Amino acid sequence: MTAWLAPATLEEALELRAERGAGASVLAGGTFLGILMNEGFLSPDVLLSLGRVAELDGIRVKRGELCLGAMTTHRAVERSQVVRDGWPVLARAFSLVASPRVRNQATVGGVLADADYASDPPAILTALGARAVLRSPRATREVSVGELILGHYETSIAEDELLVEVRVPPCPGRAVYRKFRSRSSEDRPCVAVAAVSGEAGLRVVVGAVAGTPQELPEACALGPEAAAEIARRYAEEIEPMSDSRGSAGYRRRVIEVEVRRAVEALA
Amino acid sequence: MSDGHVDGAVRYAQDAELEGQWHAAFVRSPLPHARVRSIDTSALPRECVALLPEDVAGVGRYGCQLKDQEVLADPARFVGDVVAAAAAPTRAAAREAARRVQVDFEELPAVFDPITAVSEGAPLLHPEAGESAGDAVSIGVRPLAGTNVCHRFRLVQGDADAGFARATVTVEETFRTASAQHAPMEPHATAARWTPEGRLELFTGTQTPFNLRADLAGLFGLTEDRVRILAPPMGGSFGAKTFTRLEAVVACLARKAGRPVKAVLDRAEEWVTLNRHPAVVRVRIGAAADGTLLAKRLDCWVDTGAYADCGPGVATKLGYAGIGPYRIPNVRVDALAVYTNLPPNGAFRGYGATQSVWASERAMDQLAERLGMSPLALRRRNLLRDGDRFATGEVMHDVHFEECLDAAARAVGYERDPRGKGLCVLLKGMQTPSRAAIALERTPVGYVVRCASCEMGQGVRESVRLQAAALLGCEPGQIEVPDPDTDSSPFDTRTTSSRSTHMMGRALAKAVADLRANGGERGHGEIVNDGGIDPDTGQGIASTHWHQGAAAAHVDVDEETGRVTVEHLHAAVYAGRVVDRAGAELQNEGSMIMGVGTALFERIEHTDGQITNANLSDYNVPSAGDLPRRLTHELIEREGAEAHGLGETALPPVPAAIGNALGSLGLDLAELPITSERVLEAVGARDRPGAEAAT
Repeated sequence: MTAWLAPATLEEALELRAERGAGASVLAGGTFLGILMNEGFLSPDVLLSLGRVAELDGIRVKRGELCLGAMTTHRAVERSQVVRDGWPVLARAFSLVASPRVRNQATVGGVLADADYASDPPAILTALGARAVLRSPRATREVSVGELILGHYETSIAEDELLVEVRVPPCPGRAVYRKFRSRSSEDRPCVAVAAVSGEAGLRVVVGAVAGTPQELPEACALGPEAAAEIARRYAEEIEPMSDSRGSAGYRRRVIEVEVRRAVEALA
Repeated sequence: MSDGHVDGAVRYAQDAELEGQWHAAFVRSPLPHARVRSIDTSALPRECVALLPEDVAGVGRYGCQLKDQEVLADPARFVGDVVAAAAAPTRAAAREAARRVQVDFEELPAVFDPITAVSEGAPLLHPEAGESAGDAVSIGVRPLAGTNVCHRFRLVQGDADAGFARATVTVEETFRTASAQHAPMEPHATAARWTPEGRLELFTGTQTPFNLRADLAGLFGLTEDRVRILAPPMGGSFGAKTFTRLEAVVACLARKAGRPVKAVLDRAEEWVTLNRHPAVVRVRIGAAADGTLLAKRLDCWVDTGAYADCGPGVATKLGYAGIGPYRIPNVRVDALAVYTNLPPNGAFRGYGATQSVWASERAMDQLAERLGMSPLALRRRNLLRDGDRFATGEVMHDVHFEECLDAAARAVGYERDPRGKGLCVLLKGMQTPSRAAIALERTPVGYVVRCASCEMGQGVRESVRLQAAALLGCEPGQIEVPDPDTDSSPFDTRTTSSRSTHMMGRALAKAVADLRANGGERGHGEIVNDGGIDPDTGQGIASTHWHQGAAAAHVDVDEETGRVTVEHLHAAVYAGRVVDRAGAELQNEGSMIMGVGTALFERIEHTDGQITNANLSDYNVPSAGDLPRRLTHELIEREGAEAHGLGETALPPVPAAIGNALGSLGLDLAELPITSERVLEAVGARDRPGAEAAT
């Protein structure tokens, strides 16, 4: 039988997390853990549910940065006027995840902490330079998405830390998110491409093709005018994986097409 | 009626609450083929009951067409096969108990592909030939001793070799279709109790209450009247809830526990309970220079998984549906239902036609291209017409294939510009022989109509209610249609093969006439359709009533990624006389949407027999966003006609219509689903230098 811990405050949640560590699985929206538990891949002794922690829910803008509480649902991001006005590409990327039923449940913190490669948000959050706020009773630190997601289902979150917030810098003027699905419209991405172009230059991040979001700064330095060449390099240098959405060889071809289209859309 | 589905008033099988009931959970094999060496139950909690091999040693075997299933499997023949079971006061406790049962297995060699399974030296799943059930089938079953073939269907008409010798153009190609999951919203659910008098009562989601009763009576050595099946409405089925599924093991658990036991599967278990047969179909078809078809040969390997279930019936119908609605003087069909170490495959909306129509109608377009003819003209030239003989020898009546095909072609403007467009026409049989009966009784407010047609969301109750109200001259609200109950509903073959509106409508007319002739209080009406075909020659009456339909698709392809967009999909279905217009339209739409899933992405995947996408995140079913940009359809009616079944007709033609639309762009697809990756490969094959010369 699984024990259920449901703290009502962040302080209490952090204490429980520090006390239980890896002995408790942190439960946010449950769209990921639910499948693993239903299929018998995971049978945690203890679930630490963040569902009652009101402090973790909410969308705010602080000093020009978008602050998404970890328990903010995908649907809330998609529908928020603040996000739509200031970070329209982010609202769009979240609107493309699965179905409304899933988006009403899945959370911003959950999708990053799961580090499931076949997700939409990591690529766009990486391209926008988002940072995850990790807190424990001893300290609070901020890490980039690249520093957070280390590989398949693997993150740098310590055993006493909770991902409490995601901070997104101001959105560059030109930004695009392309989700390529090889099956149903509600499927996870086969290839995801986020591209932004601003003062800091061009950033192109390819998601859902490997354990972590893929970015090639040297190729991006060629600038938005070099769409075809950038695309060629992404296709050449990324080592894509095979799964039921497409083989590695197929993904390589789609990466070239979709990166080119994304960069062209910026130019 | 729809209100009850929305507000929760409808009680499904999974809602059954029997006094004192415990819940069941299953101990499943983690290996695809393994003998059970021993089972250790020492870790079981006190308050539970485990069902072990020794508890079922005295019961027989079951199976609707071959009695090849044991209540607890030994050996286990697929990953997920039930080798033991547990019952406990709650579902969670039962699952925990099942987890604590330790089984020691001895692994055996396994086979996962029907062609390998029929090769020399393949491991045998059922070395002892199964005993034919006989009573539940329309066909003789022909297992081939000493092989994994549980049934061979053969059809011979004319002389195929002589026909090919005269043909100017011959096309030969091998086509494949994937396995699929029915994915009804409500999973399989069964509750069983034994009465103090030793009767077995089951509340179960089933399309086949009388077949189930016969199978269980045979298993327990009871007379059929000692088994009672109550069939509440199902939250979807699509063929998944046919014949004996959980009922045998749940009944044994209830007997051992000495109390009612209920089982409700979780979603992942659905993939190890029943799926659709994957098939390999090799088509050879030959024609004269003017397009007249001269000969056709079909070789089909139908993967029925670890148990025959209705695989022999599927292989038979797949075999003759693959001939298509054409006049072909020389035909040879060999269709094998083959055991593999995969979960059992069974009835699935389309019942074999989906698999063979994909092959047969793709081959027609390939033949048209070789002949330099329009695919529409080639079909028109050869379509069966009223009074023609089909390859089974039966004379066809009330034939509307050309009307359906023309309507589909017109809807997408095929003749104006066939580029990016594809057609498919289909013939599908109805269960033959079969019987249906209705008992009518007057009540203070109207009438009770008792019939064993099972409601699974297809609207059969509404269809019966509307037809009864029209015949009896009252309002539909005055007609009560209780849930099927084998104690009080008259015998009906089963709710399958799109037969219920047609058969029950005819039985109802007889029952109403009987009621009027006998004082207005009670009436009984029965329809008996004789027929059936010889499994060794394919000759006889395959169907007393033919489902006829066609589909047309217009597609757009992103040739850089292979992504297919269906711009327009149209189906034309012969309906005879429409009984429930809204219901009939929903059947067409539902069939077409399922057809899109089969065409473009549905596929069960496995590694060493372990299914790797047994959830609705990794296995996709069509969503609203996957609908064609335009989805249209029509019901073709004829003055004075009988009501025709149409629950499945618009599904099987969809994949081939889409495949042929791609074919019109030079993209040659032979395997379902038509994934973006396969389309991109087809683009490469078309554009490869020298490809033109090869065709």
